[in-house]
Amino acid sequence: MNLLRTEFRKIAPYRTFWVILGIYVLLMLLILYSSTSVEINGKALGNETYQFPGLWMRLTYIAHFFNLLLGILVIVLVTDEYSYRTIRQQVIDGLSRAEVVLSKFYMVVTLAVFSTVFLLALGLYFGLLYSSDKSINSMFSQVDYLSYYFVQAVAYMSLAMFFAFLIRKSGLAIIAFIAYTKIIEPLIHFKLPDTLDKYFPMKALDSLTPMPGQEIFDQLTSPVEQLSPAWAALPSLLYIGLFLLLTYLLLKIRDL
Amino acid sequence: MAIVLSIDNLSKKYGSLTAVDQLTLQVEEGSVYGLLGPNGSGKTTTLGMVLDVIRPSSGSFSWFGEGISKATKHRIGALLETPNFYPYLTAKRNLQVIADIKGADHHNINKTLDLVGLATRSNTTFKGFSLGMKQRLALAAALLNDPEVLVLDEPTNGLDPQGIAEVRDLILRIADQGKTIILASHLLDEVEKVCTHVAVLRTGKLVTNGPVGNILSAKEQLIVSADELAPVLQLLERLPYVAQFNQEKDYVIITLQEGYSSTDLNRDMFAQGIVLSQLVARRKSLEKQFLEIIKS
Repeated sequence: MNLLRTEFRKIAPYRTFWVILGIYVLLMLLILYSSTSVEINGKALGNETYQFPGLWMRLTYIAHFFNLLLGILVIVLVTDEYSYRTIRQQVIDGLSRAEVVLSKFYMVVTLAVFSTVFLLALGLYFGLLYSSDKSINSMFSQVDYLSYYFVQAVAYMSLAMFFAFLIRKSGLAIIAFIAYTKIIEPLIHFKLPDTLDKYFPMKALDSLTPMPGQEIFDQLTSPVEQLSPAWAALPSLLYIGLFLLLTYLLLKIRDL
Repeated sequence: MAIVLSIDNLSKKYGSLTAVDQLTLQVEEGSVYGLLGPNGSGKTTTLGMVLDVIRPSSGSFSWFGEGISKATKHRIGALLETPNFYPYLTAKRNLQVIADIKGADHHNINKTLDLVGLATRSNTTFKGFSLGMKQRLALAAALLNDPEVLVLDEPTNGLDPQGIAEVRDLILRIADQGKTIILASHLLDEVEKVCTHVAVLRTGKLVTNGPVGNILSAKEQLIVSADELAPVLQLLERLPYVAQFNQEKDYVIITLQEGYSSTDLNRDMFAQGIVLSQLVARRKSLEKQFLEIIKS
């Protein structure tokens, strides 16, 4: 936990960090305010968006697009250590390579906790304001989507962290991260049968926050096979472990 | 004397380039050990390896007789190449981060800033510092934990003459406290002024090492002249400690073997009834010696 305290010492006066986080918060608020007019599957959502308990699923589905921003934030924090050469100095001063990875992973978890709590607050606020059913039961019956979202956020940021340690330059790392998550893996999915690619990192992670109304969609076209959120959690956790391990090995093998 | 750092056959290869080639040396406790060599001779690579940020291709090293670990790192204060800090953090906050990592007492921060003359600038962000101030902050960071060993890589690089004098003075003050200092430099003058021991590197290889006196200052040249040069030349041929002599116009240039000085020569000349009209001890220019060492 001392590692986390040191991380906070670094970022407390760091404007870039707070600006990116501020953009994240603002965009989430903006989307939610305007989401009454958002159309999913050709149907305007209206007040439907804010109804408990489906609100949690819709909320986490919307939030999952913004994991990209959290990933970029992590990439900036990691590549900074390379461009300022502070990572080198800190290993000289006593940090082990495992601690270097852990200190950034603690930051990842902290950011995921922040965004999950933020979503909980948003959900409760909008739900209590607009939902017709405000019973405790319906409020919290599907709140477990938040825990899936938490796993997803941690996994996304762990992948971003891996790219940052791999590439070491912020611009290139961000491009690689976006290219992999949004282009390369989806292209691979095209080539492979669903039974196989549903276990791929991006697909497994996206299965944690399924698209609301997927069932209707599936009736119209051939159904997409994907893991249920609960089942997707297991490979996602394994991927988090894998990204951490790869990052550690990278540091172990390479000169700083 | 205890051995602080022992390097055994350490090598680093980058592809076909050998940056450090089978380097073996030992640094004794309490010495000020200079790593001297031109740019690109492998000084920083060597320090990077013993400081755990560059992986050796082969060979080994030990600190205080142990492998490198958190415990040994906390006994070392090091600055490698450039001062590395967060530009948007103040001097004080940068040191707080380092104190966290070193497990140093945060009360040392103000004291150390004071020591390097940055006490009044402790709330200035690092990016607002001049190069000299950055270098001094790096020294403060290295000193934060009151380490037994200081490893300094070109600590006076980019400083103005006053800054250089200050940093050297600081190094000597620290050395006086009985601390071991390992100093990499391409400046001969610096090594000669500050160090007790020196290892000379060239293209990654150890050329020579030993006490500074033996390596850099042993060869004194004497210039003598007398009314009659013939008896002088005769005597010089017989004196066992004369390594070499050359007659030039009306004077003779003499190189003595190690451990002898102009006093010995003067005494023997006088004993033979030769009175010298001139006896000048001239140190061979250090640059010349250095170039000779790294060329041979």
